[in-house]
Amino acid sequence: MSHNNSSSASDPRQPSTAKPYVPSSVAPQDLPINYPGFIAMIFGVAGVLFKYKLCSWLAIIFCAQSLANMQNFENDLKQVSMAMMFAIMGLVSNYFGPPRPGTKS
Amino acid sequence: MAKLNPPFWYRPISTILAPRSETLWYFLALLSVLSLICKELTSCSALVAAADFEGFGDEGEEEPFESHQINDLAFRPPVPPPPVTQSDFETHHDPPQPFTSPTSPPSDPLPKASAFDYWDEDEFEGIPITESAQTPPEATTQSSTEEDPKPTKSPAKHRYYTIEIVCISFLICFVINYFIGKRENEKIALAWAAKFATRDSIFDKNFSLLGTGDGKDTPLLLKEGQNVFKFYASGRRFCQGLVATVELQCRHDLISRVYNLIVPCKDEITFEVYMNDDAMDHVVFALAKKKAAKVMQKEVRDLQVYANLVSPPSNRKWVVEDLAVISESKEVAGDLLNETVLDQVFGDKAFEKFGKGFISMHFSDQHSVTQRKMLLFKFALPDANHMADMIRLVALVPYYIDLIGRYKVSSQVRSKTESARSKAAQEAYKELLNARQEALHKRRAEKRKMIEEAEAKLSAEALHKKEAKERARKAMPKVKVSRGH
Repeated sequence: MSHNNSSSASDPRQPSTAKPYVPSSVAPQDLPINYPGFIAMIFGVAGVLFKYKLCSWLAIIFCAQSLANMQNFENDLKQVSMAMMFAIMGLVSNYFGPPRPGTKS
Repeated sequence: MAKLNPPFWYRPISTILAPRSETLWYFLALLSVLSLICKELTSCSALVAAADFEGFGDEGEEEPFESHQINDLAFRPPVPPPPVTQSDFETHHDPPQPFTSPTSPPSDPLPKASAFDYWDEDEFEGIPITESAQTPPEATTQSSTEEDPKPTKSPAKHRYYTIEIVCISFLICFVINYFIGKRENEKIALAWAAKFATRDSIFDKNFSLLGTGDGKDTPLLLKEGQNVFKFYASGRRFCQGLVATVELQCRHDLISRVYNLIVPCKDEITFEVYMNDDAMDHVVFALAKKKAAKVMQKEVRDLQVYANLVSPPSNRKWVVEDLAVISESKEVAGDLLNETVLDQVFGDKAFEKFGKGFISMHFSDQHSVTQRKMLLFKFALPDANHMADMIRLVALVPYYIDLIGRYKVSSQVRSKTESARSKAAQEAYKELLNARQEALHKRRAEKRKMIEEAEAKLSAEALHKKEAKERARKAMPKVKVSRGH
């Protein structure tokens, strides 16, 4: 190694020691929490249960944010798709279903 | 030109085409929900049609009601439900006709000198007025049913669609911003790679393998997210490899972009150099801005255990006042912050020009359990057009790899560092033993509980049997005694 250094002091490269890239594996528990997906889920459920249009629309917006920020595809897609389903159900039930009592539809 | 490697896009396609069991369940759930939605839509389309009728009837009934007061018999609501008589059939035909041809109704009732009072010749004169009075309300109801989504200003109902308009416009802006932000981030990352990672650039001269893939035409940057890019280099003396992580602002996300207007965020690049085991001596050293240095010294594990803040010595050149040094030994800190580095980057004069993008630097041979010997550099990324501003900062990376690779601590320092490391190793070993013993104790306690529970169960059964036997015995002797009598 030292011989190598002195003879090729100008060239620090060592092709023999080159290793291929190994991406660091992160355990599913250690992944950063997907906050937009979580908030989207909450708003989606609230929109379906309480028939608030605004909640369903906000759920769709946060779903869009979560999709845009998605890095780990497999783990995040489940949460986002569930939140999206809830939001769409909320919208459909708000617009095409019976109106909420006591409010203007 | 630098290329991007998008495995990000291949993975979704592969998971969709060949789903695993979990994703299969989720797609089934999605399909079922979609079918429910379709079912609700079809059932509610009938509701909507009825609502149209009702709405039409509602709005039609309001004005005819008023005019009902004016010309009572002459006027008839144009919409069902009418009373079911034969003459109504004829009138039934008439109201729909104005929809298609407003001019035809005046002609149609003409031949109807019917027994029906409404179409008396006396009243016939009133009909064009009523017809014309009908057509505006019919036209308005028509327009209201056709243009249902638009806000109608009927006195009873106010239909404002502010929420929908705001949300849909926000979503459109979000989608537009996604593509704009994505392109901006890619531009910055590619600009960096073009400056520092392409042929005859600093990393090309220092490392033999660049990029994450195999083969010759491997893309240089690995795109992990819309704002995270990774660059890998390997094949150099003293180190196993280098991973540069470019973390940019979330320009593709409109909400984050708005948040970053309030709370400013920098584009950062982090270099992680994995040193060879034989290439790094006992060095624990960090350099950062003053506040950040204090935080680092408290939070980063190896700095907490081994190092302390170093006050600037009086007898020699030192770093700018903005920066603070954390080191295990002052001598090592002085050796690492040599004249070259101070003149080029960290000195008083040089820092103003070239050191503005510097965030922190951390060298450690006790970094973490998995990777002990590491050099960490963190710099702020300049604009895509000003990548040349960070040439000197990036040049620090190979310079320090060589410096630390060749550096040997003095004997005095070595004795201190050896004792510190052995202490830490002993404590770690003790903790490990303690943890193992606790685990053993727990297992034993659990086993005991299990055995006791089993015994208790068994004893409960045994008790039941015993009680049954005792009852039997009690029962038996009585009989005997009675017999004895």
